[in-house]
Amino acid sequence: MEQTVYQQLTDYLVAHQEDFYRLAFSYVKNRDAALDVVQESIVKALAKADTVRRPEYIKTWFYRILLNESMNHYRRTRRLVPLEDAAPEAADPRGDPAERLDLYDAIERLEPREQAVIRLRFFEDMKLEEIARVTSTNLNTVKSRLYKSLRKLRELTGEEC
Amino acid sequence: MDNVWERARARYAQTPVPEELSFAVASAIRTGSRRRRAGRGLRRGLTGGLAACACFMLLVNANPTFARAVSDVPVLGGLARVFTVSEYTIDEREQLIDVRMPALELPESTDLEQRINTEIRTRIEQVLQEAENRARSVRDAYVETGGDAAEFIPVIIDVDYEIKCQNDQYLSFILTETETRANAYTEVYTYNIDLEAGRELTLRDMLGPDYVELANAAVREGIAAREAADPDATFFHDEAGFTSIDEDQAFYINEAGNPVVLFEKYELAPGYMGQLEFEVPVP
Repeated sequence: MEQTVYQQLTDYLVAHQEDFYRLAFSYVKNRDAALDVVQESIVKALAKADTVRRPEYIKTWFYRILLNESMNHYRRTRRLVPLEDAAPEAADPRGDPAERLDLYDAIERLEPREQAVIRLRFFEDMKLEEIARVTSTNLNTVKSRLYKSLRKLRELTGEEC
Repeated sequence: MDNVWERARARYAQTPVPEELSFAVASAIRTGSRRRRAGRGLRRGLTGGLAACACFMLLVNANPTFARAVSDVPVLGGLARVFTVSEYTIDEREQLIDVRMPALELPESTDLEQRINTEIRTRIEQVLQEAENRARSVRDAYVETGGDAAEFIPVIIDVDYEIKCQNDQYLSFILTETETRANAYTEVYTYNIDLEAGRELTLRDMLGPDYVELANAAVREGIAAREAADPDATFFHDEAGFTSIDEDQAFYINEAGNPVVLFEKYELAPGYMGQLEFEVPVP
């Protein structure tokens, strides 16, 4: 039983590696850092694989690890953004950002936890219950975070999203 | 609305995925399953060409490797085992915490398994909480008395376990909490399980009704032998010295199947003698 869960976990990790990379990259914005985050998450997950008893939780359980790793990395490094990466955002010459900001860029202006809800919901197509499990919060918190984030995005993009 | 999201999704999906990803994932899987087997002594960082080559091999025949990896879990008497459930490090201003939390698997006696696992978990939580409070108050005192907060040396807290005996009959392991400031102080918690009866063992179970006398004799002999063998060995004597073991004296079972009684630092001897243990032969 345990062996099959472990096997399923490794199969899952291999099959969805690109999804993991994209999510990690959306936080750390750096190719090597994103690779590191994915690796570190997988190592952690497998070392703790014995704690997953039920295969249906593999996905949310692993996303929780991945998201934590991504956010940790993001928090550790956001004060150390390389100059060339930081420049374009800082020097946005156009007047009212609400008019022009693309939705995708707007998401990056959200709090890390809000980014998580938006990305998991719209880019990873997770159900709200799944997001609650991934972020270790309850369903109502996820809902209110989602609506708050959507409201912010509307303000940032000026579009009806 | 859909249109905006479609565009954002498309941009997300277009995040270029580097070619190394599959190597990185395979090598992480290899490290992870090794870590899971070994339980400790882990290496971080997986970069480098060598790793990439090795992973490529692994990708080719991933499944048999994993199958071997998972069947390689240390098994105890075919049934019971102790394994690491949780391993984490907390690195803060006041403290560095390193925890390796064990759990027990006793398929034949799930009540006992649950009770012991809950006890271990709550004990570790409690010990950590106390240690954190202590570390914080030490740091506050340091700062209040004019110390520079940046120069405070964090208190190091280390929670670990060690299996002392595992055979068909007994399972014995100790849980230690070590707190290092200028001095290291270790607290030990012991778990001894009779696998046949499915319960925890006492010294009386091991040594019979005369267990206090037997253990006392062994400890006195041990003290005398050590003092004779090593001129630097010092024990407290008379009032401060050894009088008798407690009824619930901490002990573990060694590989020979004999109980070994434990005394904490300062209990029987000056601090430099450290923690003391004495084997009591089963009569």
